[in-house]
Amino acid sequence: MSADVLIRRFERARERLPGPFDARRRALDDLLAAGLPSRRDEAWRYMDLKPIVEGDFDVPPREPSAGVRERVRALLDDAASIGAEDASGRIVLVDGLLDEELSRLGGGSGLEIVRIPPEQPVGTRRGGGPVHPLAMLNRAFASDGVAIRTGSGVEVAQPVELFLIASGGARIAQHPRVAIELGPNSRLDIVVHCVDAAPAEGWLNVAVDVTQAEGSKLAIHRLQEHGAGLHHTSLLTADVGCNATLTAAYVDLGARVARNDVDVRLAEPGARAEIFGVFVAAPGRHVDDEIHVEHAARETSSDTAFRGIADRTGRGVFRGKILVQPDAQKIDARQKSDNLLLADQAEIDTRPELEIYADDVKCSHGATVGEIDPEQMFYLRSRGLDEQSARALLTFAFANRLLQQLAPERLRERATRLVAGQLPAPPAWEEVE
Amino acid sequence: MLRIENLHVEVESKPILKGLDLEVRAGEVHAIMGPNGSGKSTLTQVLAGREDYVVTAGSAVLDGKDLFAMSPEERAAAGIFLAFQYPIEIPGVNNAYLLKAAMNAQRRARGEPEVDAFEFMKLIGAKLETMQMSRDFLHRSVNEGFSGGEKKRNEILQMLMLEPRLALLDETDSGLDVDALKVVANGINSLRSPDRSMVLVTHYERLLELVVPDYVHVLANGRIVKSGGHALARELDERGYDWVQAEAS
Repeated sequence: MSADVLIRRFERARERLPGPFDARRRALDDLLAAGLPSRRDEAWRYMDLKPIVEGDFDVPPREPSAGVRERVRALLDDAASIGAEDASGRIVLVDGLLDEELSRLGGGSGLEIVRIPPEQPVGTRRGGGPVHPLAMLNRAFASDGVAIRTGSGVEVAQPVELFLIASGGARIAQHPRVAIELGPNSRLDIVVHCVDAAPAEGWLNVAVDVTQAEGSKLAIHRLQEHGAGLHHTSLLTADVGCNATLTAAYVDLGARVARNDVDVRLAEPGARAEIFGVFVAAPGRHVDDEIHVEHAARETSSDTAFRGIADRTGRGVFRGKILVQPDAQKIDARQKSDNLLLADQAEIDTRPELEIYADDVKCSHGATVGEIDPEQMFYLRSRGLDEQSARALLTFAFANRLLQQLAPERLRERATRLVAGQLPAPPAWEEVE
Repeated sequence: MLRIENLHVEVESKPILKGLDLEVRAGEVHAIMGPNGSGKSTLTQVLAGREDYVVTAGSAVLDGKDLFAMSPEERAAAGIFLAFQYPIEIPGVNNAYLLKAAMNAQRRARGEPEVDAFEFMKLIGAKLETMQMSRDFLHRSVNEGFSGGEKKRNEILQMLMLEPRLALLDETDSGLDVDALKVVANGINSLRSPDRSMVLVTHYERLLELVVPDYVHVLANGRIVKSGGHALARELDERGYDWVQAEAS
């Protein structure tokens, strides 16, 4: 059933998809041969991809309408935008199409931002193993993609901005792709903003591919604030080299369904990954984080920390998996998932997992699902705060502990303000911490 | 100011207070002493409005108002302040924020104008000095990673800022060294006034040498079994509680 739907959709989209057709068709065939994931798969136990894949979302037209560009321009120019004048580069992908007029590509002084050909595979696991279904879907249906590269020893001072925008057009499925390659001992910060230019029904499936050479430092901080009509799936595959550090931050405050798959391979000694996230699952929303870290070499380290808040009929899922390969001795892996339920009907499913094949390792994992601590509530109320304000303050403080780690400041402020704004009695967040 | 009559309180279905009477008039300082488990902390917590402590009989009236009909925040606005025996840690909320939010919530509830950031900083500067605390302290999360002594000082700092009508101090002296005890006692004394009252729960007479009470009560088995002046505290310090309990039974 879903195979037919997919093939029909693919054939119909053929004319609008750039680049060689064969590579796309192969990706689709691979996906169909493997089968779409179902809820029988551990990684998809709480989320069904089928309704999204079959969701009558179509690839975008080759040329966006003039109205779309104006909406996007207004969004970027907004005072509260995370965009900054002095950014090292700006990539604007609207409905999966690269808008070169609104973007600032190029770069210079050791930073390169270029369009990549549609047939370039993104989302390949270098450690072997099957290609991720989201990567195959992305390959089959992708429109545009960009590569961001740094030269050896280049430290890029200001972040590169990546905007992934849903235009608000009719039921569009977009599959943007980004390949990031860091040269030895280089440094780069990327801020990613996933947002709608107008209320949009649709699906955004972004694939990001990271390769880090020795001693490089990459930070990707992403804020997702889509509206309630958008489905968001994201895949990050990363290969981290000797003494290189990857930081990836996920803040999910919107979308009907938000799913983040992270697959990091710490490939060489000294590689490190710091992955953290905050989500707020509002009523009727679903947020799903699937975080895999593979320690494939000795003396690698990883720190995964997620904080989730679920409100009435909202649902949050965290599944973390740490895999330690036999030769990966003296590694240090931490994983933590803390969650807060704001109402009885809210749901959190959290499963930290360890799979360890080496014997000299330091691993810790833990998960908590709780409600607002009544002792803290009483303390605040005994000082005069009313019940609603006390609850909002404690909820905010719970998320704020990780939000404070976001960078740059514009992103942190926006994320913090949005989280505070989702609470019934918003605290004056600028002063809380 | 505060009149408690025949107070019965249960904690997890277990009777803790069993007919407690106490009257505190304006300007008075009362010390409540007594063996462990006699109900001293329960008394202060139930007066502050802790909801899982169940009042099964009796009344508590503050300035003519029925305390048990009020929420914890209403009691705070009416002038009750509890210095916790074990102050609660609130990671992610700094001290300055809590204090300002608390002050303004109480002021709003009383129909008074709120303080702005400037006034607040001016006010707190002086109080920090009294409590010998540095300004950095304002930007730390509430009680998180504080030593026992810092937590107790913080409670008194909050009290100085909130200027309650009735302060309930639950073992504020425990865990303090001699110097810290003096600072805390100074803080408490600085707030003594003819229209403000205090109830000090303590195990030790040494606080009462520094904050001299008008009355000393012995709470045992859920009731006040003996009352007296400051001299009673000294006697308890020397002789323990057994003789009081023997006398009472």
